[in-house]
Amino acid sequence: MFNNAKLSLFLAFKSMMKGNKSTLLLIIFIMSLIFVNLVFIGSIFLGVTEATNKQVINSLYSNIVIEPKKDEKYISDVYSLEQKITGVPGIVGVSSQYVTGATLSYKDKHGTWTLRSINPDDEMKVTTNHNYLIAGEYLSRLDENEILLGKEISGGYGGDLDYSSLGAKVGDTIDVLFDNGIKKSYKVKGIFDANFIQTNTMAYISQKEMESVIGLDDKASQILVKTIDNGNEDVYIKQFLEMGIKEKIDPWTVYSGMVKNITNSFDMIAMMITAIGLFVAVITIFIIVYTSTISKRKQIGILRAVGIEESIIIQSYIFQALFIVITGIFIGLIIIFFAIKPWFIEHPLKFPIGLASLMILPEKVSMNAISLIIAALAAGFIPSWMAVRKSIIDTIWGD
Amino acid sequence: MTDVTLLEVKGLSRIYGMGDVKVKALNNVSFDIKRGDFAAIMGKSGSGKSTLLHQLGLLDSPTSGEIIFAGKNILEVSESRKARFRLSKFGYVFQEYALLPELGALENVYLPAMALGRKKEEYIKAGTEVLEQVGLGMRLYHRPREMSGGEQQRVAIARALINRPDLLFADEPTANLDSGSSKQVLELFQELNRETGLTILMVTHEPDDIKYVNKVIWLKDGELAEQGT
Repeated sequence: MFNNAKLSLFLAFKSMMKGNKSTLLLIIFIMSLIFVNLVFIGSIFLGVTEATNKQVINSLYSNIVIEPKKDEKYISDVYSLEQKITGVPGIVGVSSQYVTGATLSYKDKHGTWTLRSINPDDEMKVTTNHNYLIAGEYLSRLDENEILLGKEISGGYGGDLDYSSLGAKVGDTIDVLFDNGIKKSYKVKGIFDANFIQTNTMAYISQKEMESVIGLDDKASQILVKTIDNGNEDVYIKQFLEMGIKEKIDPWTVYSGMVKNITNSFDMIAMMITAIGLFVAVITIFIIVYTSTISKRKQIGILRAVGIEESIIIQSYIFQALFIVITGIFIGLIIIFFAIKPWFIEHPLKFPIGLASLMILPEKVSMNAISLIIAALAAGFIPSWMAVRKSIIDTIWGD
Repeated sequence: MTDVTLLEVKGLSRIYGMGDVKVKALNNVSFDIKRGDFAAIMGKSGSGKSTLLHQLGLLDSPTSGEIIFAGKNILEVSESRKARFRLSKFGYVFQEYALLPELGALENVYLPAMALGRKKEEYIKAGTEVLEQVGLGMRLYHRPREMSGGEQQRVAIARALINRPDLLFADEPTANLDSGSSKQVLELFQELNRETGLTILMVTHEPDDIKYVNKVIWLKDGELAEQGT
């Protein structure tokens, strides 16, 4: 067995050394590009998905969302509920909000957007929007008659939705018409740009201000809960339910319908591109090995005539295919980790969902490498197996 | 030459099918070869000489008949056993040298020894010795294209000898050589046969070659026409 492998390696090595080295290098380079393509496509889609997920968590819903029980408009006894939740190990922040639709107008422009009320001190523990102010200041707990606008509502500092934005800047006064018919004027205190279009089309006022407008106290439309880590939301939700919390409790993923669609579509596209990449790799290697077996048909016949087993000849071609692919993968890894990844860290891609970079997961890279190696095994085996099926006489002396 | 039969051929036929047309390349050929024989298979072009050698050397499968080698019907063994026979029991010398162009002379020669599982130092030593034996001790690392036809054929002979075969098949080994090289090759065969007792079965169409052999098998139209010593 070991001797056969040694002989196969010897034949493969001699064949490659004797062959055209420029062609060999070109083929290896093509393999490295195929590998880079496989990793890159998967990683960029993962990066976009990851960026989107982070945005949903960090700027919209945090990790867990608690909403009113069925048939109820508000969560009651919010303060007590918040205390209960805060006591659970691993919970790092809780923020209750009123969420309503409101028509905002400035000069001759107006539009309807989502208006959330927050306790800024609590909100800063569950979202990161306070870090993305592009003008003015963040809200304070006792602020009255002041409003924080997303960049796309403001429009005064650029944006992608110019046609619907108000064109208001910090210090301007805008009118807000609430759902309950109350209309009030607010001074724009700050503008934020969370790099996420869904967040940038929201406005915030203080909880105290909202309660004075809608005449409620110790109630909320939703409570956002921040956990110490992402991905274990179900564990915390289970604990909340065991504590007797009757409200509707869901992880952030339930609220990311658009994101889920994007993610699923990206997964599908990535899978298709990976399949095409692997197919191209198989065809490339197949053609290389097939051409080699055709041009070395006589040599194959001679080897068989002097008693070299067919399996050794097949193995020698498989080793050549593996050498090409493994070297290609190695060069591909160098390109990915020393050129592409650093470049994308410096120059992340700008999407409506935020800045996205490559997300290179070792398990995905390994999977791509293994897939390519398996493809090489198949593409190396088939033509060489076909070559040794012919009779020795035909192989040496045939046309 | 001894009285021990090394190779016994019984009713060997090879029929090639070309659609509805069947071509009888060999028809019911029987003869035997004693250990130590240096035999020539002769006949006109198309008489079936090479076809016969290919069947005997397990390079092709006959349509019917038996090939008894050292008492065993070697047509009944598996393909991998046949490959093992070709590697360890038989040696081949082809008309067109059949060397691997990417390998040097020594590498071409030691390849079968390597395949047999011999140790590196052992097969290099054996390869060097056998190349020296055929007079190519100074050409160990030359590629086939760097050697003359006669030299290439001697490399092929060295390759055929490295695993110390019981039977050497040679298919018109001098057909592509000049008269000087042809003489050298045939004298080498004669020397190997006399000094080591190597059994040799050679296809030739040169009547002059008869003087080197002790047995002649004449084929005509795929049938055994005559055999004699």
